Parts: sequence; structure tokens; C-alpha cells
Amino acid sequence: MKPTTVGVIGIGRIGRMHTENLVHAVPDAYVKAVVSRTQVDPAWADALGIPVRSTNVDKILKDPEIEAVVITAPSGLHVELIRRAAAAGKHIFCEKPVAFEPAPIEQAQAAATAAGVKLQVGFNRRFDPSLLKMWQGVQAGEVGDIHQLRVTNRDPKAPPIEFVKRSGGLFFDFAIHDFDTIRFLSGSEIVELFAVGAVLVDPEIGKAGDVDTAVITVRLANGALGVIDCSRQTNYGYDQRFEVFGSKGSLVVENTTPTTVVASSKGGVVADTPHENFVGRYREAFIAELSAFVAAVREGLAVRAGADDALAAVKVAAAAKASHETHLPVRLSANVQATSGGQRR
Amino acid sequence: MRVITAGILGAGRIGKIHANNLMAMPGVRLKAIADPYVDFKEWPGAAIATSRDPEDVLKDREIEAVLVCSPTPSHAEFTEAAARAGKHVFCEKPIALDPERVRATLGVVERSGVKLQVGFNRRFDPTFARVRRAVVDGEIGDVHLVRITARDPAPPPAEYVQASGGMFVDMTIHDFDMVRFLSGSEVEEVHAYGAVLVDPAIGRAGDIDTAVTTLRLSNGALAVIENSRKAVFGYDQRIEVFGSKGGIEAYNETPAQTVLRTSAGVRSENPLYFFLERYQRSFVIELEAFFSSIREDTQPPAGGEDGLMALLIGLAAKQSLLENRPVQLAKLASPGSKKAG
Repeated sequence: MKPTTVGVIGIGRIGRMHTENLVHAVPDAYVKAVVSRTQVDPAWADALGIPVRSTNVDKILKDPEIEAVVITAPSGLHVELIRRAAAAGKHIFCEKPVAFEPAPIEQAQAAATAAGVKLQVGFNRRFDPSLLKMWQGVQAGEVGDIHQLRVTNRDPKAPPIEFVKRSGGLFFDFAIHDFDTIRFLSGSEIVELFAVGAVLVDPEIGKAGDVDTAVITVRLANGALGVIDCSRQTNYGYDQRFEVFGSKGSLVVENTTPTTVVASSKGGVVADTPHENFVGRYREAFIAELSAFVAAVREGLAVRAGADDALAAVKVAAAAKASHETHLPVRLSANVQATSGGQRR
Repeated sequence: MRVITAGILGAGRIGKIHANNLMAMPGVRLKAIADPYVDFKEWPGAAIATSRDPEDVLKDREIEAVLVCSPTPSHAEFTEAAARAGKHVFCEKPIALDPERVRATLGVVERSGVKLQVGFNRRFDPTFARVRRAVVDGEIGDVHLVRITARDPAPPPAEYVQASGGMFVDMTIHDFDMVRFLSGSEVEEVHAYGAVLVDPAIGRAGDIDTAVTTLRLSNGALAVIENSRKAVFGYDQRIEVFGSKGGIEAYNETPAQTVLRTSAGVRSENPLYFFLERYQRSFVIELEAFFSSIREDTQPPAGGEDGLMALLIGLAAKQSLLENRPVQLAKLASPGSKKAG
């Protein structure tokens, strides 16, 4: 069976990474075209063997050979691109956030459903080998009934203030992964939360109307409680730790490091700091999510991170922002669908 | 080193531990132990005077310092009686479950001019003391987040729960004190979620067995505490303080530091079973600190105000759970009661 032909829309940092992963690590995919608002570096495209490079998205959408698109354009364009790609009958992988509000996500989902195409969202953590094993352990009953979940999510360095301004804020841009992780691991929905944010890393972030440090506690439909702690800056690398605790025990995911060297001296025992950023930490996950997307397209399988997950996560993010602003716990409306956690339609 | 003569009121579990520790402690002479319900046949031996009447300890002019290890409802009364008798007091936590009662006791202590230390033993645990030093020495910069996981290995009987004042003032009170101690900052606001997931009998007794509590501190930092009455793998006691320059984390301690590698997996030891095992050293060090503060006439490192503040935070958490809203501490604390750990 010949590879699935793919076009990538948006060749920024993430677009490059996904393209390279598709070419090097997803044998069932063939990247035929890359489209970007600015000229794509021809040497880069040559090296990857991508024949079509353009600044016109129709070069992908109107190419009947291209079956699937990867959307890594700026967030503000995601919904429109999904609608156009769906109308052109292309299967869609879209980076998060699909949108910052439920309505456009619902529209994007409706467009994909109407066109009968797959729509996968870039919740990469669901494909991380460690988190996947944790999820499997939960499914297998290793922790018994879930009582508590904990996510520690801390970035190595605060992003540039320009990014902060257009990011949608910490709850939508950053903690959204944590909301999805809690839903994914627990297989349950967040029904209520309390969020407190603070500006402790950079006063400029505060001036831009955002926070850089936050603690979010949640109540789940299955009765369990969850804790998320976020910071925009560790100075010691990308801090990603997870814990599920239940009636029979717990599962913990620790940080991973570039190397496993431990240096002992008079001054102490020193190991590597965690990976510098998400590219290193979630390297396998970024490949696995695209492999899974291509497999879903080829074999007609359900996607493992869909528009309904994006929708649920955005609703939680909006509730978290409201809780932080009103300084009160916020209940999520009952229209958030209960899901089975990992596998879905 | 000047030898200080001490007496103990209450020879239950913790009273016995303190007594045994004092018998081995240089610079302290344990003279007498009183407990109305203990027959003292097997223990502590002829060298220590024993009695069923607390007055025998309280009226002994030779005794300079008294350890109050009786059941909680008598803590305040015995602390006041010992203070009035001019004795320095070490009192197990909590002094009382009613803040007004605690304040009254602190007033008596102050007027008597004696020292009062409260049994927040975790402050003296070498691991947590190291975490505090990282904060004080600026190793992690300004504190941004304090995260505590505190889980017991097995839930107490429902009857205990009923008398304990509830999870927040019985169990989480130690964690509230650790947040104050480690951050060097006061708690301004509390929000708590609680659930009954371990034992329905605890729910029927009007308490919870699982909780997550969010705290806002006066220095702007945030703190979060996870509690459970039952971790099947043992006493789960972990703390992380995260700041502008990095973070420091205290892991669980284990009976032996081994890793067993077989085809079945790589297995470490379970945590030390419960607080008696995990905090064994802290019980010795807290008493050394108490007697040294008497000898050197310094402030005890965990005083009555610390006991009061932790209780007030616990009551605020209880109120938050009940009303499902964040509760401000300023509205609970009395004026002038703010003093950093």
C-alpha cells in the first residue's frame, strides 16, 4: 500500500518539527507539499524531498493527491483552515489550540463530521510512552479507584511578552494540556474547579493581563480530586511530572533527562536537569501522534485526541480563567460529555 | 550543660516515646510521669517516679519543665496549670480545638513568663529542615510554590475521627504548619476540596478522608496540599518548594535504601510505615530544641502562636469545604497574631 500523501500548512517551529518527523519517522506518510505565509527555505525542503513549496494554501487544498493535512499555522487561522480542508475532503491534524472558545471548535468539528474526515488535535501528551503506560495502568486497575491526580507543568523559561499577549493566557495556552491530561488519565470529566493565579516570574506578564504561576484544583465526575501546578519558568528545564493515586496504590511519571549521567563530587551528587523544552521531552510523543493520525486515516480508526477533547479542555480553561478572575470555584456545565478516556469514536 | 528536671503528663503512645527519648537525653533528668489510666508496672522502671495524679508532677518544685502528652481535651488545662506553677511547657498539638481556648492558654503562658513549645515535630525533621535551609539560604530564590503530599497508611477508626476535630485540624494541621515554616510567610486565604473515598464510615462521622487544599500566602506565593487517610503503600510524605531560582524536593524515606532488579521489575522499598517510624529523629530533636531554649533563654522554635495559626488555617479550610468558597484568614485571626514561622 502506498504512503498517505500529506501537506503541511504553516512552517513555523512546530510545522518544521512535524514535517521532519513525518519524513523521517512516519514511513506510511509522504509529505508532498508545505505551505507557509513566508517563503519556505528551499534547502530545507530539498533535504526532506518535498517537491511542492508555496505561499498559497490552495496548492495543498486543491491537490487531489493530498489526502491529509497537518495544520500548524498561527492559532487564529486554525478554524478557518479546518473548515476549508474539510470542505476539500482532507483528513486533518490540527495543532492545539483549535480555538479559544467552544463555538468555533464546534463549527470545526461539525465541518469535519459533515465531510466525513478525521480531525485529530495536537494533545501530544496522550501519545507519550510514559503517560500512555500510566493510562494503561489505570485502565488495568493498578491504582484501583482513582482518588487523586496531580500534574506539575512548568516551563523552563518565560516566553517572550509578545507571545504571551497573543497566547490566550496561561489557562488556555499552557494549562490546557494539563486539563486534557487529567481527563485522559482519569477517563472522567472535570465538573468543578478552583484556580488561583499569580504573577511571580515576570511583572510584564502581569501587565499583559496574564499570570505566570497557578494552582488549579479540580473535582471530577468520578469523585476524585485533582491538582495542577504551573509555572512559566523553572530555570532548571522543562518540569513534567504526573501522579495518579488510588485505592490500590499510585503511578508516578517523573521527569526525563537528556542523559542519565550522575556526577558525584565533594560538592554534591549531580544529575542532568530535565529536557530543555517540549521538543526534547515529548520527542516520541510528537512522532507517535502523527503515526497514529496517519494510521487512523489509512485504517479508518478513531483518532485518540479529537475535537471533543479540544472542546472539553477549552471549557475547562474558560472556567479556570473565570475562577481566577472571580476568585470563586466554578462549576462546569453538564453538557461536557463523559468519555472513555483514551479510545473514542 | 545545665541539667534540667522534667516531668511528663500522659503516658500514652506519644508520652512514652518522649519519656524514652528524655531518659537517653544528656542535660535532662526525667523525674516523674503521671497518667491516671496507666499502671506503670512494666514501664518505665524504678528510676522514674510514677503517679496517677497529675498534681504530683505539677506540684513538684524540682520540676522545671513539663511535657503535656495527655489526650487533646486536657492539653489547655494542663498547659495552664503547669505555666501557673512556673514550669516551661512542651505541649503536643493541638493545644485546643477552639481558638478562643488556645488564646486564653497563650495568655496564661505569657503572664506566667514561661516558655511554650508546641509539638510540630516535622519542623525538626532533618530532611525538612534542609528544605527550609534552601529557602533561607536563597538556594531556590523567592518562594513561588509549596507543594505537600501527606497521606497516612491507614485511616483511623471513625470514633477517633469524631473526636479529632476533623481531617484539617487533626492531620492537615501539620501541613499548614509546614507551609508557614518552609515559606516563612503567613497564609492569607484557604480553599479546600474534600471527599469521602476511603471509608464511608468516616463520611458518616461527618468528616472527609481525601482533600486538596489551595493556600495563598502573604508573600504572593501559592501552596497546595494533597491529603489522604489511606495510601496502601505506606506513609507518603513529600514536600516540594519551588522558587525563582529552582526547587527543592523531599522524597519519602524508606527502611533501607535498596533497589531490587529482577525480570519482574525494579523495586524500591515502601516508605517507612507511619509517623512514629518516619519522624523518629524529629521527636528527639524537637525536645533537644525545647530544653536548649530553656537553658539559653531563647524563643522555642515552634511556639504557641504557631499552634494557633495552624489551627486557624485548619478551621478556615473546614469552613471553605462547608461553604465551597475561599476563606480569608485575616477575618479569623486576632489582631497582632501574625508572626512568621
